[in-house]
Amino acid sequence: MLEQEIFNIKTEALKNISHSSSIEDLKFWRVQYLGRKSRLNEILKGLKDFSLEKRQKIGPLANTIKKEIADFWEQKNRELERSIDWEKEKIDITAPGKKVSGGHLHILTQVQNEIEDIFIAMGFEIADGPEVEKEYYNFNALNIPPHHPARDSQDTFWLKSDENKGTDKILLRTHTSAAQVRYMEKNFPPFRIIVPGRIFRREATDATHEHTFHQFEALVVGDDVNMRHFKHLAEEFFSRFFGKKIKIRLRPSYFPFVEPGFEFDISCTVCGGIGCAACKKTGWLEVGGAGMVNQEVFRAAGYLPRQYQGFAWGFGIERLAMMKYKIDDVRLFHSGDLRFIRQF
Amino acid sequence: MKFSYNWLKKISATKKSPLELKDLLINHSFEVEKVIALGENWKKVVVGEILEIKKHPDADRLQLVKVNIGERKKLEVVCGAFNISLGDKVPVAMIGASLPNGMVIKETNIRGVKSQGMLCAPQELGLEGDPSGILILNKNISAGISLAQALGLDDFILEIDILANRGHDALSHVGVAREIAALENRKIDYDWLGLKAPRPKTKKEIVKTAIKDKKLCPRYSMAVLEDVAVAPSPLWLAAVLKNCGLNSVNNVVDVTNYVMLEIGQPLHSFDVEKLYSEKGKIFIEARRATKGEKIKLLNEKVYDLEKEDLIISDRKNPIALAGIMGGWESKVTEKTRTIILEAANFDAISIRSSRLRHNLKTDASDRFEKTLDPNLTEKALARAVEMLVKIAGGKLVQVEDIYPKKVHPWKISLNIDYLEKMLGEKIPIKTAREILNRLEIKTKLAGKVIVADIPTFRLDLQTPEDLVEEIGRVYGYEKITPQPLMAPVKNIRLNENRLFIRAVKNILAGSGFSEVYNYSFYSMRDAGLAYLGNIKHLELENPMNPDQAWLRVSLIPGILKNIRENLKNFQQLRLFETGRVYWKNADVLPEEKEMLVGAIVAGEKFGAQIEADSFYEAKGQVDNLLAKLNLEKWYYDDYEPVSADTFVDLWHQGRSAEIKLEDSGESIGFLGEVNPFVLANFGIRERVALFELNLEKLRKFSEGEREYAPLRKYPEVTRDISMIVSGGTRVNEILSLMQAAGGALLLDVDLFDIFYFEKENKKSMTFHLIFGAPDRTLESREVESLLAKIITVLEKKLGVKVRR
Repeated sequence: MLEQEIFNIKTEALKNISHSSSIEDLKFWRVQYLGRKSRLNEILKGLKDFSLEKRQKIGPLANTIKKEIADFWEQKNRELERSIDWEKEKIDITAPGKKVSGGHLHILTQVQNEIEDIFIAMGFEIADGPEVEKEYYNFNALNIPPHHPARDSQDTFWLKSDENKGTDKILLRTHTSAAQVRYMEKNFPPFRIIVPGRIFRREATDATHEHTFHQFEALVVGDDVNMRHFKHLAEEFFSRFFGKKIKIRLRPSYFPFVEPGFEFDISCTVCGGIGCAACKKTGWLEVGGAGMVNQEVFRAAGYLPRQYQGFAWGFGIERLAMMKYKIDDVRLFHSGDLRFIRQF
Repeated sequence: MKFSYNWLKKISATKKSPLELKDLLINHSFEVEKVIALGENWKKVVVGEILEIKKHPDADRLQLVKVNIGERKKLEVVCGAFNISLGDKVPVAMIGASLPNGMVIKETNIRGVKSQGMLCAPQELGLEGDPSGILILNKNISAGISLAQALGLDDFILEIDILANRGHDALSHVGVAREIAALENRKIDYDWLGLKAPRPKTKKEIVKTAIKDKKLCPRYSMAVLEDVAVAPSPLWLAAVLKNCGLNSVNNVVDVTNYVMLEIGQPLHSFDVEKLYSEKGKIFIEARRATKGEKIKLLNEKVYDLEKEDLIISDRKNPIALAGIMGGWESKVTEKTRTIILEAANFDAISIRSSRLRHNLKTDASDRFEKTLDPNLTEKALARAVEMLVKIAGGKLVQVEDIYPKKVHPWKISLNIDYLEKMLGEKIPIKTAREILNRLEIKTKLAGKVIVADIPTFRLDLQTPEDLVEEIGRVYGYEKITPQPLMAPVKNIRLNENRLFIRAVKNILAGSGFSEVYNYSFYSMRDAGLAYLGNIKHLELENPMNPDQAWLRVSLIPGILKNIRENLKNFQQLRLFETGRVYWKNADVLPEEKEMLVGAIVAGEKFGAQIEADSFYEAKGQVDNLLAKLNLEKWYYDDYEPVSADTFVDLWHQGRSAEIKLEDSGESIGFLGEVNPFVLANFGIRERVALFELNLEKLRKFSEGEREYAPLRKYPEVTRDISMIVSGGTRVNEILSLMQAAGGALLLDVDLFDIFYFEKENKKSMTFHLIFGAPDRTLESREVESLLAKIITVLEKKLGVKVRR
């Protein structure tokens, strides 16, 4: 019977200790089960009155159980001491985060980086040219002699000439195509390059016109680079840039440094070509001019006639940024206004 | 150019709607900017004939009018105007018509009388004219036809952007119709070959013509017509011109313009009686003007001529600025009886420079400056004479044609393999030849080579590539299948410079700077405000305005403007820009330097405080940037200007430094506050700290190798020293004394606190010293003795007071 009682004490003690939710409760149960006046203690104290046989049976059992209860109590005590008041810990996670004063790359830099990365991944080299350029590289070498009406469409900022420097007229380049012949004078096909950079047109500014903007020239020349390759490259680039399948439409156009020449449109990035406000219901967005490099340009670069062929294209980086981010005023790019810059 | 759909349709025999034509042309020929439907607002407005006018029974100011609107239909309408009489032809808006002024016509009851429509005043139709009366139309118009048809406005206008190299042929209805027909696999319905130099039945010699400059005037054709009745043009002619954007003047002038719109050759007409004649004969020549000659042109302005200008002249006076505009004195008026009709060919460059010189741009000059086919003149003359005789009743009495060097068709050979090599698409030789044929280019085949006979009106076709374009675009670029380029795999060169600039930008953006873009130019005044006015700048010859006349030698003026503007919205700023600046040098082209300017505005006002938060933050930013760019060692030196071309005055003289490399002493840039006067010039009240670095130099020196430093095995010991020093003592002096006294065991020293006692001109500084040895743990004893040594040196050499 006594043995049964000891087992009962253990069951009850472990249950009560494990259900304790505070240090105070726990202390109470220690007095109750392990204290001097506890039942277990009384049993142990009363052992001397039992027979030897009974003593040898009850004694170790009571001691073992007492130790088990004590260990369990210790374990529970440690747990409670280390426990956290989660209620008190609670904060308002809807309150704002601390401001990190990070800077912002200009959106044109971001777009230009993106464009460069796409072309690098497609095996293109990135070339540069001067912003203040000789008339020769900007016009004559590109089959645009003086008095050519094509000069009208590219109103030019000319620089005041220095009397002692001969007759070379200099200007602010009106297109990145000015770098074509410079590059070809020093390199032989096959090659694929892009020339990103700042260009200038003498135009009054408004929401859609700027006198300073940025262009990308692509020039691919080899033995048999043809219009199929152009179409593929253009589709590939724009699909990557806009992150969706883009189709290309070519329309006949005229630029003296290409023949055949064309304007190219991309399927509307908003509606996909069905027709919407962004594309004025045409399904197409105009992006730039392109064409097969005119043999006259190769001749200016010192290549033999019809030894090589290839294509060139040029388009505005601002225009791409405006399309992608729905920016409606081109003047914002050069405004230096942080309220604009910090949006990107 | 504005094209009439009806006119194009007539010549090309197309069955396409205006919008279908637009699509066709856009894909194969030219951009069509707009399609405008004329008379669209006049649906249900017809011509009515007035049959009866009665008084309104209940209103004195109204009348009841019965009109015949054709097909035996009659309407009764109430009308408030009194300028009408029986038999008049007037516009009648029928029930359901919706007028340009917004009015919608319904059957109404006006004072007890039903009105079944409305007679219209010009304003109600969107036309000009007397608003108080009904528009009275020409009596010959038959009742019942639509008003649009009656006024020649049942048409569409296509605004087509003719490409610059197609001004030869396509700035004309025949030219564009030829495109349309070719695209639809037809030839035009127009007797092009039948237009040949006209021949007078009875010959007279009234005029003698001569070309004095054959280069500027390759051909001069003219006809003389007598007994011409100058009058207003017939309605259809006036309407067609108006629809195409030209004003109707009189029948003679209108015919010349009409022919120009039809075949692209500008013509001019002179009043013979106004020209100077000698013994009854007029001598006309095409020659260069002489300096001092003047002419009053049709726009009633007088122009001073130069010897580069080509003019048409009689024996006494210039009578026209050739190819651009005719003279005022000899213009055709209602009194004119005998006219000279001129159809000439002029040199494009000469016309272009003249019209630029005189700032004149006309429909004629637009065409001539794109170079015209000299063979056009006789066709134009033939067509104009034919029309004039019909419309103005003239009689042809003389034709002269001076054409010293005839232009003949030429040949271009195109190998069919080359066609495929360019387009990437195989086009059957038969198809290619058919396409050329439709464009009125005759071909022969020699093996794989197409030999094409180019008609002289296609001056733009000169090379095999030109033919590739003709075949390609008519065939359809949409049929070209995209295909990836198979090119040899080459390892591309990376653009180190751009990658470096990208890295610089990323570091700065990561350190809290936002990037701005500014223009490459500023004004002379801006340069002056920034004290850069003495530097020789490159100047634009034709700036948009004086604010943008000088090419920048520095990014700083732009940044200062950005600061001023952004301070309206922000209290603190961290900005940067990278970009090119332009310096004059001995070469033709200036030196373009890639620069970086960073700016910090920490919100410090000018005043008593000696702290320089902006400056020191900028210095810290430069240190961080240079360290991340892997530069070896640099220091900040007092800035000593070396020539007049430096920015000495721009900087705050007590708060600026030159950034130099330790090994070479080479300067890589500047750091400092901006001169308070410069800031005041730009309207900035806060202190501004800037750094300006030359990116090419930075890149050159950032290519040092990096090497790993082993981690320390033994613990380091740190000690702080606080001291009071005199205001003039520089941190560098203290640091170098500490380093010398501490030796190799003093690993590092940091200044971590500084406090100024302004009145006493003293400052308190606290340094953090780190000691350590590579091979053992330092004993406290060693550290204390080194510290004591350092303190002694400082006290002795600099008289500092160390707080203990």
